[in-house]
Order: sequence, then structure tokens, then C-alpha cells
Amino acid sequence: MSLLRAWLAGLPAYLWSGWGAIASLFLLLAAWETVSLLYGPLVMPAPRAAFATLLGLIDSGAAWPELAITARRAMSGYALAVIAGSVLGLLAGLSMTASMMSRPLVTVLMGTPPIAWLVLAMLWFGASDGTPVFTVFVAAFPVIFIGALQGTRTLDNQLFGMAEAFRLPRRMMLTDVYLPHVVSYLFPAWIAALGTAWKVVVMAELLATQDGVGAALAVSRSHLDTAATMAWIVALVGLLLAVEYLLLEPIKREVERWREHAA
Amino acid sequence: MRTLDRLAARPLFMCCFRPFFLATAVYGVLVLLVWLAFLGAGQGVPAVPGGPFVWHAHELMFGFGLAAAAGFVLTALPEFTATAAFGRRVALAMVLLWAAGRLAFWSSGWLGAAGVVLSALLNVGFMGALVVLVAPRLWRDPERPHLSFLWGLVAMGLAVAGFQADVLRGLYPMRWVLVGVGVMMALILIVLGRVSMRIVNDALDAERVRHRAEEPLLRREDDEIVDYRARPPRRNLAIFGIALYTAADFLWPGSVVSGWLALAAAAAIFNVLNDWHVGRALFSRWALMLYAVYWLMALGYALIGVAALGAPLAPSAGLHLLTVGAMGVSIFAVLCIAGRTHAGFELDLRPWVQVAAIALCSAALARAASGFPGLPVAALRALSGAAWVLGYGLAAIYLGAVFMRARPDAGTGCEEVLNEPGVA
Repeated sequence: MSLLRAWLAGLPAYLWSGWGAIASLFLLLAAWETVSLLYGPLVMPAPRAAFATLLGLIDSGAAWPELAITARRAMSGYALAVIAGSVLGLLAGLSMTASMMSRPLVTVLMGTPPIAWLVLAMLWFGASDGTPVFTVFVAAFPVIFIGALQGTRTLDNQLFGMAEAFRLPRRMMLTDVYLPHVVSYLFPAWIAALGTAWKVVVMAELLATQDGVGAALAVSRSHLDTAATMAWIVALVGLLLAVEYLLLEPIKREVERWREHAA
Repeated sequence: MRTLDRLAARPLFMCCFRPFFLATAVYGVLVLLVWLAFLGAGQGVPAVPGGPFVWHAHELMFGFGLAAAAGFVLTALPEFTATAAFGRRVALAMVLLWAAGRLAFWSSGWLGAAGVVLSALLNVGFMGALVVLVAPRLWRDPERPHLSFLWGLVAMGLAVAGFQADVLRGLYPMRWVLVGVGVMMALILIVLGRVSMRIVNDALDAERVRHRAEEPLLRREDDEIVDYRARPPRRNLAIFGIALYTAADFLWPGSVVSGWLALAAAAAIFNVLNDWHVGRALFSRWALMLYAVYWLMALGYALIGVAALGAPLAPSAGLHLLTVGAMGVSIFAVLCIAGRTHAGFELDLRPWVQVAAIALCSAALARAASGFPGLPVAALRALSGAAWVLGYGLAAIYLGAVFMRARPDAGTGCEEVLNEPGVA
């Protein structure tokens, strides 16, 4: 309850701190407008044209179903990656041997471009949901795995020694020593992976499926409709920004506050 | 020469801000009275190159605004750089140069080509002299923490020079006034960053005292009130946004690109207010006045932005929130705060200050409202002008008396209030 109250009390200040981000976004819009002025609307439609197209898509009811399909695929792959990456990463971090062994494998996973996985997925899963979900999973997994691995590897052994000396109960050991540290590594990894998931799913849809935002982008590309293309991009980026700044960033701040105090 | 020396010996020239701040308040009233007469009767404004609107904009920006700016920098920069104050002769010479610039510009239409050249020489010369006076001190200061003032003054000098160059070439010079407005907004942010550190922390101290009096048992409570700090990165982002907008609007006036940049500037100015939300102390008289300046400035750029993006309102609505609002209110605050303390008086707690501040804010809002469709333009502009005259009229009366009077303490120059009377 007190946590909720503290969170609510901090909310206006947090929302107000968004003005800095809004200023940067307006600078981006100015740059976008400049490019559109220089190269014409066929190459780059003006921001207002893209926004108008997006509003049209939303009004006509065309936008939400596609976004929902894309979100479902991205979230499925992401959820799998979060579970598998976190668990395996934590386990691998517990053993020096396992972490030594897994690092090169993760590097291979990280180094393989998502497009290569996409080609394999298309062969394996065809035009079904499996293709984007698998591609998202395989792109997001190593990011989370590395975060979890580092979280466990960097645990302070002296802290454990002290906790043992004070005969800390197991539960407190978990909630006060182990979890805060690991979460402070895991959480940023989850956020980074979310961005990756959101990007990769659109790419997979563009090439492999008949519906979703990626497919809509493919259609607008074939019609040379740059305004619709930019409208879909705005919708995607807007959603990601909203999730990141309204949901994840406040939690991340809470989590990282612990690390700041420790430092 | 002896007459001048006798003039310089008057208390009015004890410190540079005195004649300039007096001139600011009086001139602000004078120019607006002439302008109101013009709006009402269609005449009374001297014929200057560019016409009556150029006269109005030039005299309020480069006449009124620069008098305040000169008074501030000639007093504050010696203090900031821990160098000797500028003497009475500098004060007298600079204010005479400023007045000659006003006279020359007013008469530049009657005097013909010679008048235009004379006005250019005097107005550019005034800014040049100002830069030459303060530049060495800012430059020699260890680590040069106040160099932003120099860049601001140089940019303002370029705006004045650009204006005069356009006049000499027979072009319409209004674009340079708009550059001047941008530079003035940046200078206001720089000055308020410094002034607010003192004002807001004083208000916080008062709040701590109040807490202690109300809850003597809860001593931990006052630990929770943290000090206010004006953080440079946020201020710099706002100045960057204003500079980008000003440059873009100079190159492509009223374009959509400059509209987005104006919105970016507005958001960046709102972002500065993150430092300002310090709780109840914000509602003290001086802190609230400075806080209002940021709101007026941000809203001004926001209105300019949405107007450029196609909203049905006059671009001058937002512009006047910047000039009448942000510039008018911040200059009034500086006159009240720096003007009184450096004349040896404590801050003024009388109600006229609130009346004048509210009048100036109302003047800005009324002038902005006149740019919205469907509202009575002439009535709102007249109301705005009258409120401005009331605000600066009160300042001229109440502060003018302070500036012309000898110090009440033992001070002999620009010092702040000396607490022990009779001890220098």
C-alpha cells in the first residue's frame, strides 16, 4: 500500500519529466519534415500526412486488428524468450563451467542475423504464426540469457558470507540479497529484448505472413504508398514508446535505484 | 564636462542598473502609450523605415528590452566575476548612448538617409560598447563560468546590426527583431537560472522555518525539503531548442519545420520546470513570478508551433506571450529583485508588486487571446496595452523612487543590502 502511495505521489513528477523526451521527439519530427521538404512526399511523406493516414487507418478500423495480431506474435515469442532466457541464464550463471561453455554459444546466437533464422523458420513453419514467433524467440533469447548470466555471475560473494554469518533466513536471502541484484541485471535485458522482439516480428511478418503490421507494410510498399508506410511505422514506434515509457521505465527506475544505492 | 560630472554625481548614477532600470520602466510605459494612441487613432507613431509595426517591435525589443539587459549585465557581471563595479561615468555614458539611439531611431524617418546611418551607428555602437565593457571580465574569469552571457550579448549585437543593415539596404527588417526575441529568451533562461537559485532557495528556507514552527516535534520533516538546483543540462536543451527554432524561422519564416522546432522549444522549456516543482515554496511571491515566466515562454512557443502547423490562430499570439509575457514579467521581476537589493533595500513586500505582476501576465494573455479567431481583437489589444501600462507604470513609480534615491545604508555603489547600518 505504501509502495503504491509512493508510486502515485511520484507519478506527476515522472510524467512531467517526459517533457525532455517530448522535446527530442519534436526535434526528430522537424528533421523528418526537413527531409520530406528536400526530397518530396514520394520519398518521405510529411509527418502530418503520415499522422493523417494513421488516423484514417484507425478510424476505418483497419489498424487495430493488424496491431493486435502483431502484438500477439511478438508477445508470444517474447514471453518464451523471457522464460527460457531467464531460467537458463540464471542456471548457467550458477556454475562457472556452464557459463564458460554457454558464452560462445550465445555469441553464435547473437551473431546470427535474424533474417537467417527467418529463412530457416519459413522452411520449418511455413506461413503460420510459428515463423514470426520463433524468429522473435531466437532473436530475444540471447539478450535475456546474457543479462541473467551476468546477474548471477556478478553476485557479491562477500555479501553471501555476511548473510551467512548473520544466519539470514533462506527467504530473506532470496528476497533481499539474491533477487534485487539479479533483477537489476535482468530487467534492462528484458527491456532491450522487448525492443528487439517488436522490430523482428515486423520483419518476419513482412516476408512470411499474410496479416499483421509487417504484411500491411509489404502491401503499402507494393503500392508505393509511403504515407501508409510511415503511418504503420509511427503506430509501431508509438506503441513501443508508450509501453517503454509508461510501463517499463518507471519499474526500471525502481529496480535500478537499488543498484545506485549499492554503488 | 563639469555639468556631466555633476549629473553623474547624483544617486541615480551610483550604479549602472539604476538609470537603465528607471529608463526601462518609464520607456516601457511611454512606448505603449504611443502605441495605444496609434491603435486607437491610427497616428502618433514616428515615421521610421519599415513602418509603425517595425517601430513598435524595435523599440520594445531593442529599446525597452536592451535597456533592462544592459542594466542587468553592467551590474551583475562585475559581481559574478568578482571585479570592480563599473563607475558612475560608465553608467552615465552608456545610458546617454542608449537614449541617443532611441532619439536617432525615432527621428530616422524625418532625417532621411543621414538619420538612418546615425541610428545604425548609435544602436550598433551601444551593443558594441556593452560587449566591449563586459567581454574582458567574462574572459579573464577563471574557468569562465559566465561566458554564456558573452555569447548572448554578441548574438544580440548581431541581431541589432542585422536590423540596421536591412534598414540601410532598404529591406523590411522585422526578421532581425524576431532573432532578437530568440536571443532575449535564451538570455532570460540564463539569467533566471542564476536568480532563481537564490529566490527559490530563500523560499525553501522560509518553508523550513514554517515547518519547524508548526511541527516543532517533527524535526525530521524539514530534512525532506531538498535544496533547489537549476540544472544546466535542462536549461541548455531549452536554449538549444530556442536557437534552432530562431534559426529555422529566420531561414523559412512560418514554415512547418520551424513549427515543429517551436514545439520542441516549448517542451524543452517545460522540461526545465522539472527542477522547479519544489512544493509549497513555489507559491511564494518571487518564486511564482519567475515560474510564470517559464510557463509564458513555453506556451508562447507552443502557440507559435501550432500556428505554423496550421491551427487557425495568428502567429503573433504566441510571439506576444514571449515578449509581453516572458520578457515583460521577467524584466519586471529582475527590476524588483536586483533593482531593490542592489540599491540597499530589502525585497518589496507591498501589494503593488502583485498587482503589477498580475497586470503584466494579464497583458500577455489578453494580447495572445486577441490572436484567436472569434475574439474581439481591438478590445483585447487595448486591454493588454492598458494592463502593461499599469504594470510598468507602478514599477516606474515605486522602483523609480528607489533608483533615484541615495542608499538607506552605508553602501556607496552596487552592493547588496548592508545589514549593519553605518558599517561599510
